[in-house]
Amino acid sequence: MLPNYQFFPVSHPEEGAGGKTGNWRVVRPEVTSKCIGCNACFLWCPEGTIMVKGNKAEVNYVYCKGCGVCANVCPVKAITMVSEA
Amino acid sequence: MRKIISGNEAVALAVKLARVGVVGIYPITPQTTIIEELAEMKLRGEVSADVVRVESEHSAMGVTLGAAVSGVRAFTATSSQGLLYMHEMVWWAAGSRAPLVMVVATRAVGAPWNIWNENTDFMSERDSGWIMAFASSPQEALDLTIQAFRVSEDPRVFLPMMVGMDGFVLSHTKTNVYIPSQEDVDEFLPPRRQPYVIDPETQESMGNIFQPFDYMKLRHSIHESIESSQDVIREIGREYEKLNPLSDYKTLNVEYKLEDADYAVVTMGAWSLDAMEAVDRLRQEGVNVGLYRVRYIRPWATDEIMRALGDKKGVIVFDRATSLGRGGPLYLEMKATIDSPVKGVVTGLGGVSIGKKDFYHVISKSIEEFRFKSFREVEWYYPGEVKEVELGTPRSSI
Repeated sequence: MLPNYQFFPVSHPEEGAGGKTGNWRVVRPEVTSKCIGCNACFLWCPEGTIMVKGNKAEVNYVYCKGCGVCANVCPVKAITMVSEA
Repeated sequence: MRKIISGNEAVALAVKLARVGVVGIYPITPQTTIIEELAEMKLRGEVSADVVRVESEHSAMGVTLGAAVSGVRAFTATSSQGLLYMHEMVWWAAGSRAPLVMVVATRAVGAPWNIWNENTDFMSERDSGWIMAFASSPQEALDLTIQAFRVSEDPRVFLPMMVGMDGFVLSHTKTNVYIPSQEDVDEFLPPRRQPYVIDPETQESMGNIFQPFDYMKLRHSIHESIESSQDVIREIGREYEKLNPLSDYKTLNVEYKLEDADYAVVTMGAWSLDAMEAVDRLRQEGVNVGLYRVRYIRPWATDEIMRALGDKKGVIVFDRATSLGRGGPLYLEMKATIDSPVKGVVTGLGGVSIGKKDFYHVISKSIEEFRFKSFREVEWYYPGEVKEVELGTPRSSI
């Protein structure tokens, strides 16, 4: 049993450890019906906000920062960047 | 078992007795013979530790810290320039709260080059958050190194620990040392405990970026751990008497003829024994003076020091280190702890040899000054026939 003043610099990976970063966005990626479920955007997303479910990519807009990498790497140009304004 | 060994050999034997798993080694005078001894023990098959030869002191602490957080007992040793080169990793080790032990054979810091004894390098790590002890004999170096593993792995502490000893004066001087048996040490040191283990299975990581609030909380918890480690150290010291019946580790610091003394001398390290002889001689002449030897710098035993020195008419603090422009670190700490008049004497820097005659001279002179309330706060003392040192005339501007 550790005393209550002990505190250690250990961190665990978990969703949203860095806060809800979705409010950084100025442009939003939107997946159109062209998506073929090839997993390229899932692999390239720097924040891991894209999951491919049932052959279609889905973006988690709570954490997506709108960097546009997914739209650039999509081989069939199925992702378009839409302004948030 | 008793043997005639030097301080460095004593430390190497302590590491062997503690069954250390990883040793990061990099040589620097005057610490070199510790790791030479360990490497030879490895060659003879006496230790099972991984002896990792690295390319710098920075890496030596890196190897040691990596081994410690992954779950084995780890050890390293260094000296002046090496300790300064290691400085960054020293702070990482304290912040990650990994139990490990380092021995520092103190030595002056350049420039200019100097390999002799001075404690400034050791004292420069005071603020990092390590537990810091300073030995006064090869015997104490061995005892403190064995205790250091126990202290740093205690769940109430969980911090790295640094054991200092005077370079050459202790590290290369052979004296009679009592070595406890392997069975006793195995009983004294429980299996390694640590706060967390970095392991691919657990998906934990150490030392990621922290938010400001959490960072301050971590620093505060290190502070609280150092404060509360005083009781842990006394407890472990009492337990150590089973291993060595002649040892005395009941208190953090050591008092000598201080009960009825009007004046007190404060020292740290090997020259405490010279100061004791000077105190004995002054006692024979009827001067009421005692000696207080500081063994632990962190934790700073405020209550013990207040009890021992709070009512004295004058306290003379001998420093073998400086904070240039201000005075010795020990003097500054003492000044911040007690209300008695405190005088700091800076001497012995860079290996200047100070013996009992010098102590006798300085102590008797200082007591006269205390009587007439005419003492200088910080005095630089040069031994021998030197009365007034010429620092040279300033060059006139061209």
